[in-house]
Amino acid sequence: MSELKFSHVTVHFGTGRRRITAVDDVSLVVPRGSILGLVGESGSGKSTLARAAVGLAPVHAGSITLDGDPVPTRGSYRPLQMVFQDPTASLDPRLTIGAAIAEVAPRGLTRAGRAAEVARLLELVHLEAGQAAAFPGQLSGGQRQRVALARALAGTPKVIIADEITSSLDVSIQGAILNLVRDLVAEIGLTLLFISHNLAVVRYMASRVAVMQGGHLVEEGPTALVMANPAHPYTRQLLAAVPGADKPKGTP
Amino acid sequence: MTRVQKMLGTPLARTAAVLLGLVAVLAVLAPVIWGRRAETVDMTGILAPPSAAHWAGTDGLGRDLLARVLVATRLTLLLTLEATAIGVVAGFLLGAAPFLLGRVLGRAVTWLIGMAVAFPGILLALFFAVIFGTGAASAALALGLASAPAFARLCQTLVAGVLARDFIAAAQIGGVGRFRILFRHILPNIGAPLAVNATAGAGSILLSFAGLSFLGLGVQPPAYDWGRLMMECLQSVYVYPLASLTPGLAVVLAGLAFNLTGETIAHSLGIVTMSGLRGQSRRARAASRPGSRRAGPTGPASVRTSGASDWPVVPADVELTSQDDGAAALLSVRGLRVTFPTESGWVSPVRGVSFDIAPGEAVGLVGESGSGKSLTALAVAQLIEFPGRVAADAVRFAGAELTDGTSHRHLLGTSLAMVFQDPMTSLNPTRRVGAQLAELGRAHGGLNRRAALARAVDRLEAVRIPEPARRARQYPHEFSGGMRQRAMIGLGVMLNPRLIIADEPTTALDVTVQAQVLDLLASIRRRDGVALWLISHDVSVVAAVCDRTLVMYGGRIVEDLPTARLRTAAHPYTRALVAAVPTMTTDVTAPLATIPGRPPGPGELSGCAFAPRCPLADDRCRAEEPAVVSAGAHRVACWHVAEAVR
Ligand SMILES: Nc1ncnc2c1ncn2[C@@H]1O[C@H](COP(=O)(O)OP(=O)(O)O)[C@@H](O)[C@H]1O
Ligand code: SF4
Ligand SMILES: [Mg+2]
Repeated sequence: MSELKFSHVTVHFGTGRRRITAVDDVSLVVPRGSILGLVGESGSGKSTLARAAVGLAPVHAGSITLDGDPVPTRGSYRPLQMVFQDPTASLDPRLTIGAAIAEVAPRGLTRAGRAAEVARLLELVHLEAGQAAAFPGQLSGGQRQRVALARALAGTPKVIIADEITSSLDVSIQGAILNLVRDLVAEIGLTLLFISHNLAVVRYMASRVAVMQGGHLVEEGPTALVMANPAHPYTRQLLAAVPGADKPKGTP
Repeated sequence: MTRVQKMLGTPLARTAAVLLGLVAVLAVLAPVIWGRRAETVDMTGILAPPSAAHWAGTDGLGRDLLARVLVATRLTLLLTLEATAIGVVAGFLLGAAPFLLGRVLGRAVTWLIGMAVAFPGILLALFFAVIFGTGAASAALALGLASAPAFARLCQTLVAGVLARDFIAAAQIGGVGRFRILFRHILPNIGAPLAVNATAGAGSILLSFAGLSFLGLGVQPPAYDWGRLMMECLQSVYVYPLASLTPGLAVVLAGLAFNLTGETIAHSLGIVTMSGLRGQSRRARAASRPGSRRAGPTGPASVRTSGASDWPVVPADVELTSQDDGAAALLSVRGLRVTFPTESGWVSPVRGVSFDIAPGEAVGLVGESGSGKSLTALAVAQLIEFPGRVAADAVRFAGAELTDGTSHRHLLGTSLAMVFQDPMTSLNPTRRVGAQLAELGRAHGGLNRRAALARAVDRLEAVRIPEPARRARQYPHEFSGGMRQRAMIGLGVMLNPRLIIADEPTTALDVTVQAQVLDLLASIRRRDGVALWLISHDVSVVAAVCDRTLVMYGGRIVEDLPTARLRTAAHPYTRALVAAVPTMTTDVTAPLATIPGRPPGPGELSGCAFAPRCPLADDRCRAEEPAVVSAGAHRVACWHVAEAVR
């Protein structure tokens, strides 16, 4: 278990007059062994913050640390892993799922050790070990997202960032993936930064929630508290936008 | 259609491929068959004109010219391939350099490539040929290097395309090394376009090689390729022009074969080509054609709706309650079926769908993806394309029977609007938004130019686009996702439609924007009395807007109920679907409800389609399609309605 900490993180894109600040002085702690939900509309900087943590976006000011040390973004061991929104895009169509997982597994395993690790991970995400030879195109969307999870776990991470991992899935599949992620977090003792624009999902998954708007962090606190007593007007607006929130007709 | 059929779709593509095959066969066989003949010196018949014995005449040593041209195919082809390979490999390494070397060095390489591409290729080739000296090997190297910048530019574009995809980011985060990413992820994903472009490029290289040999810089005697033969034939060009043109003809034909094969395959597979990269503007113009097939309400009337007599056997249709014949409805659909041919026979993803939508009513259609929702909507709008087929007992819209075989384009164009998940499929990226709306007003609304544009601005305002007059002059890409979706709805309400069909209109949007778009649809409906048919995989979206909900599973409507009763739905599938959506009151201490198993494909059905996943399924469910029971406005197709409700 590790603690992921963002301290005064700022990320810009572009230069000169066209420079935009995607993340502006954001400080946030994802406590050890817990799930922190990050909500906000698209373009509010959620994904940029996540990408900065794994080295895919430049950090212009501030720092991102794991248990006090900078997150390594070089070398073969990466304690911080990420799962993306669309598994169709995040899995190489030309690579079997077994190869995609094995690629990230710890170096120095024998061939047999690697295969065993792939089988173990596939079973961990409730897929069959025999599916290792399948290509992503042969799997359903939900199965692909499980593979993406298994790949993230293959790197034996301490922290995982899940960026809208159920947004491209059907609601009927979403529940199974969310249950799986919650179980994994509890079983393996992971720390999870869970990004979503669906407040009901975040409410279910996260013990704490942070709200971003226009690159700023506008509110952070225990989920139950924030949802019951939103302090920031934007949070109130988000809660009101949940389908059926204030319309008695739409009860489900 | 298979990939190969698709690649060789046009006669031109087939001709080019056959020609290329012929060149390859000649390269293998010609030296074996005519090798001796090509070497046979006959000092009595020097520079002979074409004759029965020597179809293309003889050369300065009395050797048969045609035989020499045929035999030279092998060397010409080998050298061409060698030079192309050098060009492709060098181009790939240069093109991948920005990825391998990092930002600063990468930018320098990019700049160099840009310079080199601007330099005429043949000059570059001559320059290298002079440096490397004469000879076949150095000519191949020179031509290979001269073609490298073009390949490098292509590779840069292709590599950049792959790099933008999430699986590269995932590999990088996983600690996979750069070279491994290059060879395991990038190369396999750009292999096809690279190969196709290399084929096309080989044509030009073949031509240039002939040029070098012709100038004496390439192949040296006693070896000979087509270029060399051209040079040797020069002596007799004034005497027997036809004879001496034979090697030239071979060069042109083979060069064309390579070029056309590559270009036509690239075209049919939609692959970026090097010539396309040079002529960006041409590409942009091609894109400006009204590209989308699902082009809004006035789509092609390519639908064939016919009687059910010649149809594959489909299960009996769900009956509606008898007292309601749908006469009062705005849209009344009975026994709608959509069928497609597949490799394993006909499949029917929509298998007998019946429902009504009253004027001004808002009806939702929910179901998992693949359940047939979109096809049902497209079939109603007469937008199913060949080879798909639509059959129905009745599809009545605004008083007209759409299945009577006549064209209803005008009615559909004016009274039915469709809004899709991705507005870019319906908005033309190269035309101003206002002009696109106005065009519809002129084509179907009978408005003049000014009136149409005024109406367009008014409609943009109606869909709550701020500063509508200014926005009307902008292009779709200048709009945000939510605003584009609103513009698309504006397009829909340009002509006072009576029904708006919205297929997953908010799936790509985030909550706040989703709420705005749903609210907009609801308010248009209230204000103008337009009926709304909202399709979504998310029950909560439908519940937010609709009075009544249709639940679709395995190509049929399994429940039709007032939205307010979703919580107490009768069909086990509906109940599972509702339970699977977490809400703001879900118990966070218990696992979320899930629907085990997966939805059926359109082919694999007997009995109740939900039986493999249903907790209540018994033998009867698995054998017999459930009958429909109805209570007032509530219809359910399930054998165990009573138990399910309990
Ligand atoms: N052109 C086609 N040829 C063959 N099958 C098709 C075609 N288009 C759709 N299908 C099949 O029809 C079924 C229903 O598709 P669709 O209406 O798009 O579902 P939904 O909108 O509910 O997600 C799917 O199984 C899909 O694979
Ligand atoms: S008919 Fe049987 S299998 Fe189908 S939904 Fe009803 S109970 Fe389940
Ligand atoms: Mg659909």
